Amino acid sequence: MSEKQTVTVTIDGVQYEVPANIPLTRAMRKFLGIDIPTFCAHPRLEPVGACRQCLVEIETPRGPRLTTACTTYTTDGLVVLYNTETARAAREATLEFLLTNHPLDCPICDKGGECPLQDQTLRHGPGESRFLEEKIHKNKRYPISDLIMLDQERCVLCWRCIRYLEEWEFKPQLGLYHRGGETVIDIHPDHPLTAKTSGNIIDICPVGALTNRVARFHFRPWTWGPYPRTLQQVPSICIHCSQGCNLRIDVRTDRVRRIVARENMAVNDWWICDKGRFAQGFFHHPDRLTQPLVRENGELRPASWEEALQRVVEGLHRWAQQDPEAVGAIGSGKVSNEANYLLQKFFRLMVDTNNIDHRWGGDVLADPTGMGAIEDIYRADVIVLLGLDIAEEVPVLATFFRRAVRRNGARAVILHPRRVEDARFGVYLPVWPGGEAIWLNALMARLVREERFRAAARRHAGGQAFLTWLSDYGDLDDLPGVTEETMAHVVRLLADAQSPLVLYGADVVRGRAAEANAAALHNLALLLGEDRVVYVGPDANSLGARDMGVLPAFLPGYVPVTDEAGRERFRRLWGSEVPEEPGLTYTQMLQAAADGQLKALFVMGSDPAADGAWAARALEKLAFLVVQDIFLTDTARRADVVLPATTYAETDGTFTNMERRLQRAPQAFRPIGDARPDWAILVALAQRWPVREAGESRRKPRKGQRAARSPQARWTYTTPQDVLTEIARVVPQYAGLTWDALGTSGRYTAGEGVPRPRGFQQVPPAALPAEPEYPFTLVADRFLYDHGTLIRTTDRFARLLAPPVARMHPEDLARYGLKPGKEAVITSPHGEVTLPLAADPTVQQGTVALAYSLPGAPLETLMGPEGPGVLVNVVQPDAR
Amino acid sequence: MAIKDVYQGTRAIGRALGVTLKHLFEAPVTVESPDREPIAVYPRFRGRHYLRRYENGLERCIGCQLCEAACPTGAIYIEAEENDPDNPVSPGERYARVYEINLLRCIFCGDCEEACPTEAIVLGHGYTLANYTRRDFVLTKEDLLNPPEPNVVIRPEG
Ligand code: SF4
Ligand code: SF4
Ligand code: SF4
Ligand code: SF4
Ligand code: FES
Repeated sequence: MSEKQTVTVTIDGVQYEVPANIPLTRAMRKFLGIDIPTFCAHPRLEPVGACRQCLVEIETPRGPRLTTACTTYTTDGLVVLYNTETARAAREATLEFLLTNHPLDCPICDKGGECPLQDQTLRHGPGESRFLEEKIHKNKRYPISDLIMLDQERCVLCWRCIRYLEEWEFKPQLGLYHRGGETVIDIHPDHPLTAKTSGNIIDICPVGALTNRVARFHFRPWTWGPYPRTLQQVPSICIHCSQGCNLRIDVRTDRVRRIVARENMAVNDWWICDKGRFAQGFFHHPDRLTQPLVRENGELRPASWEEALQRVVEGLHRWAQQDPEAVGAIGSGKVSNEANYLLQKFFRLMVDTNNIDHRWGGDVLADPTGMGAIEDIYRADVIVLLGLDIAEEVPVLATFFRRAVRRNGARAVILHPRRVEDARFGVYLPVWPGGEAIWLNALMARLVREERFRAAARRHAGGQAFLTWLSDYGDLDDLPGVTEETMAHVVRLLADAQSPLVLYGADVVRGRAAEANAAALHNLALLLGEDRVVYVGPDANSLGARDMGVLPAFLPGYVPVTDEAGRERFRRLWGSEVPEEPGLTYTQMLQAAADGQLKALFVMGSDPAADGAWAARALEKLAFLVVQDIFLTDTARRADVVLPATTYAETDGTFTNMERRLQRAPQAFRPIGDARPDWAILVALAQRWPVREAGESRRKPRKGQRAARSPQARWTYTTPQDVLTEIARVVPQYAGLTWDALGTSGRYTAGEGVPRPRGFQQVPPAALPAEPEYPFTLVADRFLYDHGTLIRTTDRFARLLAPPVARMHPEDLARYGLKPGKEAVITSPHGEVTLPLAADPTVQQGTVALAYSLPGAPLETLMGPEGPGVLVNVVQPDAR
Repeated sequence: MAIKDVYQGTRAIGRALGVTLKHLFEAPVTVESPDREPIAVYPRFRGRHYLRRYENGLERCIGCQLCEAACPTGAIYIEAEENDPDNPVSPGERYARVYEINLLRCIFCGDCEEACPTEAIVLGHGYTLANYTRRDFVLTKEDLLNPPEPNVVIRPEG
C-alpha cells in the first residue's frame, strides 16, 4: 500500500519520485538503478545497518551527515549526497577494512563469479591493498551442519544468515561470538543447524562464507553460458512437496551441479527448503536404471527397448483381451501432468479399463480445490493446521505460516496427533488419528451457536437439517486431551476471524474415518467459506495427477466416468469409447491383486511394495507386472518388465502445485544411458498396441456415427508440449495454458469444474476404537527427510534421515515398563514389526509414532490397507 | 651488347650455383624427427604442458578452472573436488580430480600459464607431439603430472 504513494527525494542534486517509506538502498537500486554497494541490506530481511557499506551523506539542519542508506527510509524532501568526496571515501574505506582480514581465496571459493564482495570491490573499492600484515586466522572448512560449510575468514558479518533464521525460521541457530576483529559467526555450541530451510542462508550470504556441502567445488558461477562445458542455468521447480517452489538447476557437461532458489513471490518468495536444494544425488546416481530389463527364467536381464516394449504390449494386450477389469495402472503424484495424462489415456482407451489411480489418489477423499493463493496465508487471521506437520511436509510454507503468526498477528490452532514443532505458534490440541471428525463436529456444534454461522449454514442445501443433526455432537468425552476451555478458546478465535484458513493433510481424509472426516471438512468449508478449507497433498503433483484423471472414478477435469455426456465429449476428443464403470482405487487394486482378481499391473513412478508387507505380497500374486521408474525399487524387483524412465529434469514437463498453479520443469540435461521420459515410453507403447479391427470393438458405434478410429492414430505426440496442448484442449481447467504462456513463473489453472462442497453431509463419525489387546493408537508421521530414493541417494543426508525407531511418550514407557533404546515388537491386526523404542515427549500418551517410508516399511506394514488410526500393541520380550 | 648479356648471365648463374654447390658439401641444418638428440629451443618456447608439484609432492593445481576460463580455444577441461583432509592431493581444500588438455585444440598461446594462480600448469619445451589416435592428443592429469622430460621451466618474465 505504502509503495503506491511516492515521495520526492533529491540525490546529488537531481530530484526523483520514489515509493514512500522504503529503505533508501532499495529505492536507489531497484527504482533508480543507482549501484550503491551493500552487504547486509536484503530485500527480504529487515534492515540492520551492520556492514556500513552503504554510507551516504544526508542533509540535516546541522549540515550533511554520513548515514547508512539501508536504514534510512524514503521521505518527502530527503536530500542525499551520494557521489561526494566524503561519501565515496567512506565507502571505499569500509571496503578496504572488510578486505583487511579477508583471505585471498577467490580461486577456490564457490562464490567467485557471483560474489558481491568481488564485484563491489571492483566497482567501489580502493583498487590496491595497503595492508601487508598477516591476516587474522579463523575457522575455515568448518561444518555447521551436514549440509552447510562455514568459512569464518570469508564472513563480512552482515548478519543476513542470523536474520534469515530469526525472521523466517524463527530459529535463532546462529550467533555472533567474540569482539572486534575477532568477531565470528558460529552455531551455538554443539547445536548444528536443523532448520529445514537452512540452505537459503547460502544463497543470501554475500560472500563465500557459507557453502553448499553437496555441491561444493562442482561448479564455477562465472562459467555460465549455453554450451555443454559452461554452466547452464535452467529455471525449474522443485518436485518434493506440493508447494512447487521455483528453483534453478545449474548443469555442466550434462550433470546437475547445484540447485539454488529462484524468486517467485507468489509461490516461494526467495526460498526453497533443504530437500529441494541438497537432494541432488538421485539425478546421476550409479543405481539409476539405464536400460530396460525383462524377466527370463525368474531373473531380470537387460533387454533392448524394442524387446521390452513388445513384452509389455503383449502382456497387457493378452489380459486386456481376456478381461480389461483384470488390468490396472498406477500413476504418480511425483511425475508430470503429461506422463499422468498419457497413462490414463492409454489405459482407458487401449486397455479399456478405469482401474487407474495413484498413491494418495482415490483413497483420499479430498476436494482438490487447492489454496486460493499461497499468499492467502499472510491474509488469514486464524490458521488451523489439521493433521499437517507443516515444518516437515511443506517447509517453505511453514516459514510463511510462522511469519503470518508472528508478524501479521494471525492466531494459529494446531491439531495433530503429535505435538509437532509448530505447535509452539498457537494453541495445540491433540487429535487422535481417525478422530478428526469428532473434533470437527464438536467444533461446529459450538460454532453454530453464533448467529453468523447459523445464517451461513442456512444458505446451503441441507443447512437446517444439518444444524439439528449437529446438536448431537457437542460432547468432548471422546476427545482425550481436549478441554471445554481450550475448545471455547478455539471457537472464539474462529468466530471472530474475518479470513480463517484451514489446511489439512492427506492422512485426515484416508483410512477408516475418511468419509466422516471428509464430510466434516465439507461442512466446515460451507460454514467458513469454500476456499478457506484447503487440502495439502503430499506430492509435488498431487493436484495435477487428480486433474489429469489418474483417478478410478474421474476422467481428466473431474468428469465422472459415469457421466454419459462427459464420456461422449471424450469420445469425440479421443476418437474412441471410454469405459463407464468406475475402476478400483490404489488400495483396492492391491487388494484385488492379493485376491487374484487383478492380473496385470502397470506402475509408473510409484513403489507400492513400499506400502508394507501386505502390498508386497499382493504384487507377488500378479501374473504380469510392469514398472516404469528411475531406480530398481522393491516393486521393480518383482516386475516382469522394467522400463527405465528419466527424472523430471531430463525432459520437459509441467506440475500443478497446491494453489492450482501450473508450472514448467524444462529439460536440464540429456537422459542418462538408455533411459527415456515417461511420456515417450507411453507413446511408444501406444504405437505398438495391436490395431483394433473394425467390429472388434466391444462397444458398437451409435447410429449415424462413424466407427471411432483406431485410438493409435491419435498418438502422434513428438514432444511433451504436444501432450500439454492436448491437455489444454481436453481439461477445461487448463484451457489456454500453453508451454510458452506458462513462462518461468507459471500460471493458475482455472478452478471451475473442480469438485467443491455442495450441501451439508451428515456422516456420523465412528467412535475411536478401543481394544484391550491393542492399547496404543498408531500415529503416522511424515518427515521431510524420509528414506525415499529421492533423498537417501544423496550421501550428505545419511545422518539426517528419519530415525528408524518407534517413538512413545516417556510416561507411557515407564508405565508399561518399556525401555527406550531397546527393540520392541509392535503388532497390529495387519502385521508385526520389530523396532527400537525411543522416548519422545511430543508424542501423546496412548500413541506410538512411526515415520512413513522407513526401511522395511514398518509403519505401512502395521497400517495395512486400513490406513491411519490402527491400534497396536508394544511388547519388549526382554524388558521385564 | 648481346655478348655482354650472355657473359653476365652466365656469371650470375654460376654464382648462384656456387652457393648451391657450397651447401651441398656442408652439414645439414635440419634435424630428423623424432630427433636423436634434443634441439636447443628458446627459453620462452611454449611446448607441451605439464602440471607441477610442490617439493613435498603435493600437487600445485587447486582445480580453480582459471586456466580453463583463460584458454581461448576451450582446450582445457577440469573437474574439481574437495580434498580429504587426512589424505590431501593439494594444499588447501580443493584439487583437480580431472585435468585434461586437448592438444588438437591448443594453440600454445600460454594463456593458461598466465592465468594460473599457483604456477601449476606450465608449458614446457616438449615439441614431439605426433600421435596416432585423436584420443592420445588429450593429455590427462596422469600425463601432465609425469612428463616424459621433467625439466620444469618457469619463465623469468612471469
Ligand atoms: S567470498 Fe568473494 S572475495 Fe572472498 S574469497 Fe570468496 S569469491 Fe573471493
Ligand atoms: S556468514 Fe555470510 S551471511 Fe552470515 S554474517 Fe557472514 S557474510 Fe553474512
Ligand atoms: S596454451 Fe593457450 S590454447 Fe593451449 S591450453 Fe593453454 S590457454 Fe589453451
Ligand atoms: S592449473 Fe592453475 S589455473 Fe588451472 S585449475 Fe589448476 S590451479 Fe587453477
Ligand atoms: S547495507 Fe547498509 S549497513 Fe549494510
